[in-house]
Amino acid sequence: MAAAKDKDREKTLLYVPGEGWLHRLNPLTRLTGLGLVAVAAFALPPAATIVIALVATLMGTVAGAGAVFLRRLTLTLGPLALALFVVHGMLMDHPNRFGFLGLDLSHDGLMYMVKILGRIAALLSGSLVFVTTTHPSALLKALDSHGFPPGVSYLIASPLLLLEPFTQRARAIREAQMARGLDLEGSFFARIRAFPALLLPLVTLALADIDHRAQVLDGRGFRARPRRTVLDAPKDSPRQRLARRVMLGLAPLLIVGAFFWH
Amino acid sequence: MKLDTRTLVLMAVAIVINIVVGQIAVWLKLPIYIDAIGTVLVAVLAGPFAGALTGLLTNVIWGLILDPGALWFFPVSVVIGLVAGGLARAGWFRAIPLTVLAGVVIAVLSTIVAIPIIVYVYGGVTGAGTDFLTAYMVGIGNKLIESVGIANLLQNLGDKVLTVLVAWAIIKRLPSRFTSGFPFFRYSQG
Amino acid sequence: MALIEIDNLHFSWTPGGPGVLAGISLQIAAGERIAILGANASGKSTLAQWIAGWLPTAAATAETGGLTVQGKAYGDHDAASRPGLAQFTGQVPMQQLSGFAFTVFDEIAFGPGNLGLPEAEIRARISDAIRICNLEALKDRDPFSLSGGEQQRLSIAAALAMQPEILVLDEPTSNFDPESRDALLDQIERLPAGLTIVLADASLTTALRLAARFVLLDAGRIIFDGAAAALLAHPRTAEIFGLPEIRLAAEYLQSAGLWPAGVPMPQSTGAAISVLRPLLAASGVSQ
Repeated sequence: MAAAKDKDREKTLLYVPGEGWLHRLNPLTRLTGLGLVAVAAFALPPAATIVIALVATLMGTVAGAGAVFLRRLTLTLGPLALALFVVHGMLMDHPNRFGFLGLDLSHDGLMYMVKILGRIAALLSGSLVFVTTTHPSALLKALDSHGFPPGVSYLIASPLLLLEPFTQRARAIREAQMARGLDLEGSFFARIRAFPALLLPLVTLALADIDHRAQVLDGRGFRARPRRTVLDAPKDSPRQRLARRVMLGLAPLLIVGAFFWH
Repeated sequence: MKLDTRTLVLMAVAIVINIVVGQIAVWLKLPIYIDAIGTVLVAVLAGPFAGALTGLLTNVIWGLILDPGALWFFPVSVVIGLVAGGLARAGWFRAIPLTVLAGVVIAVLSTIVAIPIIVYVYGGVTGAGTDFLTAYMVGIGNKLIESVGIANLLQNLGDKVLTVLVAWAIIKRLPSRFTSGFPFFRYSQG
Repeated sequence: MALIEIDNLHFSWTPGGPGVLAGISLQIAAGERIAILGANASGKSTLAQWIAGWLPTAAATAETGGLTVQGKAYGDHDAASRPGLAQFTGQVPMQQLSGFAFTVFDEIAFGPGNLGLPEAEIRARISDAIRICNLEALKDRDPFSLSGGEQQRLSIAAALAMQPEILVLDEPTSNFDPESRDALLDQIERLPAGLTIVLADASLTTALRLAARFVLLDAGRIIFDGAAAALLAHPRTAEIFGLPEIRLAAEYLQSAGLWPAGVPMPQSTGAAISVLRPLLAASGVSQ
């Protein structure tokens, strides 16, 4: 029962446990890599962004997150591709038009669709490499041990931890209000009216906790000293530090390069 | 700027509210995101900076757990926090009429920030319901940027007015023992 | 000098609001185990928060009087040394969690880590706290997935890792079934002897198990301060806690070997008091 609850938490995260090379990197190295991919997704032409997306997906699959990649890429790129096809391939007056299966299509519009899809695929798969191989606690420990403000770490950790208990609370409120005859399936206006009945008790309860939680933090010396001691911080190495510097140096070069390219 | 512990805890809870309320909208099959109630609450209680940071981190966490694509829309959430905080400073959350107007202003300004992201990052579509409206507007001969703007503004107006009204209803129920620790809240009282 | 000195403390949550504490004066010595008892809204929880240093806040201050710990107000101790003075564990287990740690181990490490202590010292404190609170089997678990009783044990472990002078427990078992309640009380009974424990509770039997000195609060005033038997014989005790609680308390005294041999268990408050009177006389406590 309790172990099942721990599994629930894993389900709320996109993180996939693993021991491979990617998992063992310092989270900050992966974060810097994600930053570089984000810049590259805008700076580089479609051929390169598609390669980035494929490499990232391959890396994610080797790290054991293939199912997450397949699901997320399909869910995001599928509707997007359809919408782009309709808006840019058919509707907008892009030049170089041709007929295909009775549709009036534009070659330039379809190229534009490929450009956007390549960019989004690179952004999404790059983000997925990061989130599927980085447990939030490892990221927070890495940030902590590099002297980032603990307040920011708290603002990432606490919502992730509280999300599951609060969702359960919301479910309990929903059951209770339905038992009292609240209509969740009726007309649009009935459902709009049901909204506050579900929401207000939840938010009121949530806010009522705040004083206590703040006192608990202060009572444990939160931010009483400028630096925390971090136990079991993710390992770092001179090579990774060098790699991060190289990636940080490459980003502005890509931006400048893209500027002259266009 | 160092936020006090109580404000930090409020922000953490607000981020959870942002995400869980979106879930409630899904249960009710409402055609809205309504994912900024917590951000507006923080902006009114603790000011624009705290509001903006709450918005930013909501998108970061959304990206970590649900949809990495949400990450790239963080400027929209930041603007919602900043604008709501600025309007609260100007006293717009004192009474209902100006609060509704605040919702309209937030909707307009956040749409203005969202348009370039949607147009230049996503090519004008997002794979969501507003795409149908965008496609229709483009189909009857409008420019892409205008179509995206109008489609998203219409959706956003309903969303943000409802957001500020719910936030207002919550704020007016808060006991003074709770609000007395948030000095910024005096601009929304009376 | 007493560890905690409270002098004529008047307090209400909002300025000019109803008085929650109406002239409390109390001294607590180092190493004492003291229970603050009272009905709901008697002010015991508020007093517990004062003793733990959670009050005053910027928005809620004393009307008159105040509290010192080691001769100084909490606010005059620096932020890094305050956690070592007092720790507080409240009624709702989940509220006690920092919201910073993804495992039980990290939850206990959170406080000592904040103080910037050396790693070896932190590890030693964690393993002590884990041993005392019997958390070895749970140390890699997600704190938010634990049961209420487990969370409360974790909360006490995290408090102990701060090595406080005073541990304040505000109805720590009020939300528990009898079984987990007994398990947690066993755990608390075994806490290090030098630790000053302040328990605020509405249950006589819980208090009798943990404390040697009893303070009875009524409408924000102390109406009794003394030992167990005298507390049970006090006229307000039966009115506040009811006869069943008195009976349970008397049974507890009996099981602890403090009940006079051959005397039947009391069926009414009056009977309980008449049994207890000789006990009082024998122990030299006056009413």
